[in-house]
Amino acid sequence: MYIHSSSFDLQGERKSMYKQSENSFFKCGEKTSPISVILVTSGSRGNKLLFRYPFQRVADCTSSLTTKQRSPYALNTTGDVLEDPDGDSREQTPLTDEQLVAGFSDIILATILATKSDMCGKKFELKIDNVRFVGHPTLLQHPHTIQVSKTDPSPKREMPTMILFSVVFALRANADPSVISCMHNLSRRIAIALQHEERRCQYLTREAKLMLAVQDEVTNMTETDGSPQSPFRQILPKCKLARDLKEAYDSLCTTGVVRLHINNWLEVSFCLPHKIHRVGGNHVPPEALERSLKAIRPYHALLLLDSEKALLAQLPLDCSPALVRLIKTCSAVKNLQQLAQDADLNLLQIFQIAAHLVYWGKAIIVYPLCENNVYMLSPHANISLYSPLAEAFGQQFPGHDLPSMLAKFSLPLSLSEFRNPLDASVQEAQLIQMVVWMLQRRLLIQLHTYVCLLVPPSEEEPGLLRDEELPLVARVGGRSLSTPSALSFGSPTSSDDMTLTSPSMDNSSAELLPGGDSPLNRRMTETLLASLTEHERQVILNIPAAQSPEDLRMFARLLHYFRGHHHLEEIMYNENMRRSQLKTLFDKFRSVLVVTNHEDPVISLFQSPLE
Amino acid sequence: MGMSRIECIFFSEFHPTLGPKITYQVPEEYISRELFDTVQVYIITKPELQNKLITVTAMGKKLIGCPVCIEHKKYSRNALLFNLGLVCDARTKTCALEPIVKKLSGYLTTLELESGFISKEESKQKLLPIMSTLLEELNATGACTLPIDESNTINLKLIEQRRDPLIVQEYDVPVFTQCKDHFIKSQWDLTTQQILAYIDGFRHIQKISAEADVELNLVRIAVQNLLYYGVVTLVSIFQYSNVYCTTPTVQSLIDDRSIQEECLNYVTKKGQKRACLRDVFQLYCGLTPGTTVRDLCSRYSQQLQRVDERRLIQYGLMKALIRRLQKYPVKVTRDERSRPPRLYTGCHSYDEICCKTGMSYKELDERLENDPNIIVCWK
Repeated sequence: MYIHSSSFDLQGERKSMYKQSENSFFKCGEKTSPISVILVTSGSRGNKLLFRYPFQRVADCTSSLTTKQRSPYALNTTGDVLEDPDGDSREQTPLTDEQLVAGFSDIILATILATKSDMCGKKFELKIDNVRFVGHPTLLQHPHTIQVSKTDPSPKREMPTMILFSVVFALRANADPSVISCMHNLSRRIAIALQHEERRCQYLTREAKLMLAVQDEVTNMTETDGSPQSPFRQILPKCKLARDLKEAYDSLCTTGVVRLHINNWLEVSFCLPHKIHRVGGNHVPPEALERSLKAIRPYHALLLLDSEKALLAQLPLDCSPALVRLIKTCSAVKNLQQLAQDADLNLLQIFQIAAHLVYWGKAIIVYPLCENNVYMLSPHANISLYSPLAEAFGQQFPGHDLPSMLAKFSLPLSLSEFRNPLDASVQEAQLIQMVVWMLQRRLLIQLHTYVCLLVPPSEEEPGLLRDEELPLVARVGGRSLSTPSALSFGSPTSSDDMTLTSPSMDNSSAELLPGGDSPLNRRMTETLLASLTEHERQVILNIPAAQSPEDLRMFARLLHYFRGHHHLEEIMYNENMRRSQLKTLFDKFRSVLVVTNHEDPVISLFQSPLE
Repeated sequence: MGMSRIECIFFSEFHPTLGPKITYQVPEEYISRELFDTVQVYIITKPELQNKLITVTAMGKKLIGCPVCIEHKKYSRNALLFNLGLVCDARTKTCALEPIVKKLSGYLTTLELESGFISKEESKQKLLPIMSTLLEELNATGACTLPIDESNTINLKLIEQRRDPLIVQEYDVPVFTQCKDHFIKSQWDLTTQQILAYIDGFRHIQKISAEADVELNLVRIAVQNLLYYGVVTLVSIFQYSNVYCTTPTVQSLIDDRSIQEECLNYVTKKGQKRACLRDVFQLYCGLTPGTTVRDLCSRYSQQLQRVDERRLIQYGLMKALIRRLQKYPVKVTRDERSRPPRLYTGCHSYDEICCKTGMSYKELDERLENDPNIIVCWK
């Protein structure tokens, strides 16, 4: 059984930075935060609710409907329970989250959440009006053994035994399906840890006994004193498990990062991507995140979102040394391939660790920083004078203000242009630091050049969309540029069959033999051009530049990139060409090529939310 | 997945001697003994859960029901407990089915209270053909109208759930997603009917309100309603001084044949032969930061011979092939004594400021250009 060993706490700068936006976390947090966490068990003593958090409010019941509905063996006769006052579905004011779940008594929750044993080992999902319960009921003993002892005519067993248990999260019914899935995952992880500890040292039985004892105690006190109390408040100081569950709930509602030590022994860690990956006020769905991670290429770079020191400090003692090496060697100017060489790891490992860091919100994928990178202000950047980002920038770079810096990127600006400021007061190194700072906070997007082959239509039948005008992609049929060797990747919280493609290195088109206009080269050029229509071929061959066999050969070789999906840097990387070579080629053939600049959709996920 | 498909409708009740059981189900034998045993506690429930919409997922199926309890001395055990529910595949989205289940439980309750429909054996048998019809019609058309007896008819309709619409601002411009004449005007409310004529994809909300003589907030709400049903979408105000740039989606013009067709038909000038893809794509790619529409017109006059630039921009925005770059003024330095900036904070675009203050772009530009304390960001 694998309990994932490296996990993170959110610390430092990030917390203070998000202080102001934490309010918005709480406001729109309903959709991604749980309403309640509940622990139930089923055993020889029947179904029991052991613990729930937040506690119910203590109030008197007023409605006669509720007194009629009260279960005959309610222990809390003096109104420890806040029932739904109306009982009918037409509420005038929407209930608060607390009231939604508080409306369910302990008894009824125990009945509906402690399922039959044949629902164990699977996702449990139950929706009642506006509340959705999700959990992973887990068997502690094989039901088969219970049956045997039932038919045993010998006297009753001494110890009441627990058959199954479930850690259930209550959410608002309109929670996103990916949030529900994540909560289920956390429930399952906690269940695995608890099951393990139960088998090893009966941890759960002991905690359950404590909790029930406190509940009984409080009930007795209530009956004698008449003063209503919440037993769960008393349970907290006495039971570590209760405190763990409370901590899980609190973490889910705030940072989205949960780190528990069950029985002070087993670590359970979890992150809710919806809380970590928020851009422009919306969360990034985990599936979109995973899709993007699968599309990372070796020429991308990893940009850490915390300082190296801060990140290393967050790692547990038993974390993988590969992770440490990667963090120490990684840099915004180094691409993943170089990182693999420098950190002495293979590319696949780099991909996996990089994806892991990105998933946990510790890093983002960018194109490595270099002179020719062109950046522009992100449409989702917060450029408000009073934003917490502006404040943080002023502290980090005294004497400079964020809006002025951002204004410079109103028009696309290359790093080399940015580094030649008119006022020499700013150090060049500091300028690079500023750009990195802005990239880390998703304020800038990088623009890339994309090229598309579009030949002017022939004069004979203008205006008709003939087959000729069908773009190249439809005819060529999308030649795949990388042969992926997909590997299974067990990211801590994503589904277990997330795969990463590692493009093989032999993805550049065949190396054409040198030697000018050899017959072999000519034939290859012809073959490559064969996918074009007659008209297109004619137009291309009539271009003055096409008279040079070298240029024509290069053009033909790169033809399959000219459908608007591969940017300049990717062509440079795949074909091992210089930027100047490509730019010259584009210029020579500009009468049939259309060029545009925009962000890379693969990594733009990290700059902008999805629709 | 389109409409949620109902796999089975069942009627369950608490039998005085046999306990919870399924009395009728269509199709027959759909719910196995095992499945019912597992979920019966959620079908015939304790009092605390009655009248609540309960959806439980088990064994690859989702069961949606609303348990009803009618108390009366005449019933054995003094209460009648039943539940008419639907069964779907576990992966189906069932939100749209919930109001149907709730309504059905209401109908049956009424029928029972009025005429003992369920407690009498002869009338209870009618449930089976009713359930059959419901299953068939709801799956086929999403609606069902079924008379039960002289005084009661069941009317049900599956309503598709849509996402909440954005807030409509006074500087937003609504544009019809389909031809205006497609819609039967008399089906809409009076306010909407009054403003329909003024929605032309160029008038912004404030202008529509002024010209149609309808209060601003009413116009905003009416347009938001149209937005919800996908009848209109919002774009920004068009001016020749506007700046746009391409998004990665612009490539869909090359990849997707249907978008190509639609676009070329939309942007071609009336009366001209259809513009060619290359010209239109060049025009979109000619939109870059720093380039105004006016600049585009002078640089690409040849390509614009057959293209209406206003409709070009409109289509590009509707399909997110391009996006508008708005100007945001920020007052970065100021005297200690002067008031803090209210509009020049980086949160309000030129569009918004001009709308709110009544200034024209040109006036605002002149005012701000001469102010050394104000910088402008484009995004």
